[in-house]
Amino acid sequence: MSRVLSQAPAPVVTVSGDGLLLRSAPAEPQVVSFDGRYIWAFTAARDGRSVPGGVLVEWPPVLRRFLDGTVRVRVADVTGDRVLHDQEVLLGAGDGRVQVVDPQGLPLAVDKVGHLCRAFDDTAEGVRAEILTGTRRALDDLRDVCGVEAYLNYGALLGAVRDGAMIAHDSDTDVCYLSRHTSPADIIAESYRIQRALKQLGWTLLRMSGGDIKLLLPLSDGRLCHIDVFVAFRVGGTFYQLGNRSGRLLDSVILPVSTITLHGVELPAPADPEAMLAFIYGPGWRVPDPSFKYADPVRGVRRLDGWLRGFRTDMGRWTEFHQGAGRRLVRGRRSTFAKWVDRQLPRGAPVAEIGCGTGRDALWLARRGHPVIAFDFSRAARAAVLKRARHRRLHLEVRALILNELRTVLLAGAELARDPHHLAARHLLGCLDDRARSQLWLLCRMALRGGGTLFLEFSADTGVGAPDPEPAGLVRRLDPDVVRREIEAAGGRVVRARVRAGVDVLGHPDPTVCRMRVAWTRPEHPTSRRTAP
Amino acid sequence: MTTFTRTRARARIAQDRYRRLRRRPIGVRARLAVLEEELQESRQLNRRITELVDVVAELLVLVDDRDEERVREVLAQYRASI
Repeated sequence: MSRVLSQAPAPVVTVSGDGLLLRSAPAEPQVVSFDGRYIWAFTAARDGRSVPGGVLVEWPPVLRRFLDGTVRVRVADVTGDRVLHDQEVLLGAGDGRVQVVDPQGLPLAVDKVGHLCRAFDDTAEGVRAEILTGTRRALDDLRDVCGVEAYLNYGALLGAVRDGAMIAHDSDTDVCYLSRHTSPADIIAESYRIQRALKQLGWTLLRMSGGDIKLLLPLSDGRLCHIDVFVAFRVGGTFYQLGNRSGRLLDSVILPVSTITLHGVELPAPADPEAMLAFIYGPGWRVPDPSFKYADPVRGVRRLDGWLRGFRTDMGRWTEFHQGAGRRLVRGRRSTFAKWVDRQLPRGAPVAEIGCGTGRDALWLARRGHPVIAFDFSRAARAAVLKRARHRRLHLEVRALILNELRTVLLAGAELARDPHHLAARHLLGCLDDRARSQLWLLCRMALRGGGTLFLEFSADTGVGAPDPEPAGLVRRLDPDVVRREIEAAGGRVVRARVRAGVDVLGHPDPTVCRMRVAWTRPEHPTSRRTAP
Repeated sequence: MTTFTRTRARARIAQDRYRRLRRRPIGVRARLAVLEEELQESRQLNRRITELVDVVAELLVLVDDRDEERVREVLAQYRASI
């Protein structure tokens, strides 16, 4: 890591691999550009911490992997009039230029919730028109087909009200609809119904929570624009609007829906857009602040978490893993676990791998002649496995399974009960919370009720204080006795168990790895008993 | 009752009061934490109930037709719809 002082003798900003060290913390937001392109914005007083020499504002974690090479770093206020730093800087040991781009080479920036995104600043006019037309289509479909009152919201609404244009540095469009339901269960059911209707209309989408669907709009420049469809609703007098907003807002701020013009495209908007923007961004919403961050009421966030979330908590981190360290694993060999499983199965016996990850084992088992179904909750992992299977001309089915989502568990259970497969799960247990593990046992009970075996491998906690397995924070050790008790409580029987040295997900040595072979006995149907009258 | 005994009895009463007073706020905090946790669990039931209802309404009612071809079709349709 090297440092360059921006202004001698006393630098206002010192740029390093850690972040930006400011001699003092200006109250106004600061915009950071790399080689003249917007990258990120911050407010030092909020985002920094006091260190000797000033206030250190650390690089957002998502940027760190790019910071290896030379780059011209400019730090200036929003108007660009007051420049705190504008010099070439060497970061890390790289000899090229720092490039914050996606795998297709498209430029990225950091958005207000700390994710990497493509900013509208870098979007050609024609592509922007595609985004607006797509957003209009989504709003029309929500109103005309799904029958809900939908309106433009968040950054796109802010830009429309301020200038009739998208605000720079915004990356997607957000739309909301006001649900008439007041019970979270009904609100989720309505969101499922909307998802089905939108799918039938040809939209590709992802479910982000019980009340949030992400529409993926393909653009002519090769990327996907995200249109978030958020629910807004009222429970017990409090108004909630996803992402995480909650508080007091009258229905009359939303209904009847009005219209607003964005780059010449007319779009449905809340009845009182200014009041909606004040609710979302606070009273200072008219003053541009690219470093804006939400300050949502903690109680509201906790309620929304409890009602609507909890089935994709680690999804983002696993996606990052599969796009980083996981990608390197793809080139590895099958695990010794796969060989252990194969040895115990008749030739050609069907196998379902639960939590297939990069698919090394699933693909190897398919090559060994086993019909294979590969289940994983990560879309990135499933896409990688499918791509490799096609490349190797291997036939295997790849399916989604979210063990924290009961309906996908029941669906997979029903499928496997009708089409029996042996089950294999390597280093899956340590990635699951208690609920997901209990639903895995339910899946096994459904799938193996007619026979078959579950093969397990996981990092064991045997009380010897072995180091945490990798990837850190995503996998943990489990006590084999606890696992055995859970299996038995779910009607299973551990036929064989052993703890030996092995390797973790990344292939690093692990002194205590447990393997189990488990069977479920077919439940006996109660015989009818006649009682004497 | 001697002065010593009376003093000891008073001391015991005072000690007992102090313990009760100390225990109460600690107890309330601990109970509050448990209550919050249990409330969050009960909120989570909203999604579990909806998932179950979804499976029953979209899948099980049709599976009950016992038409093998139709059941396969329904399972595939359901997977595509979620």
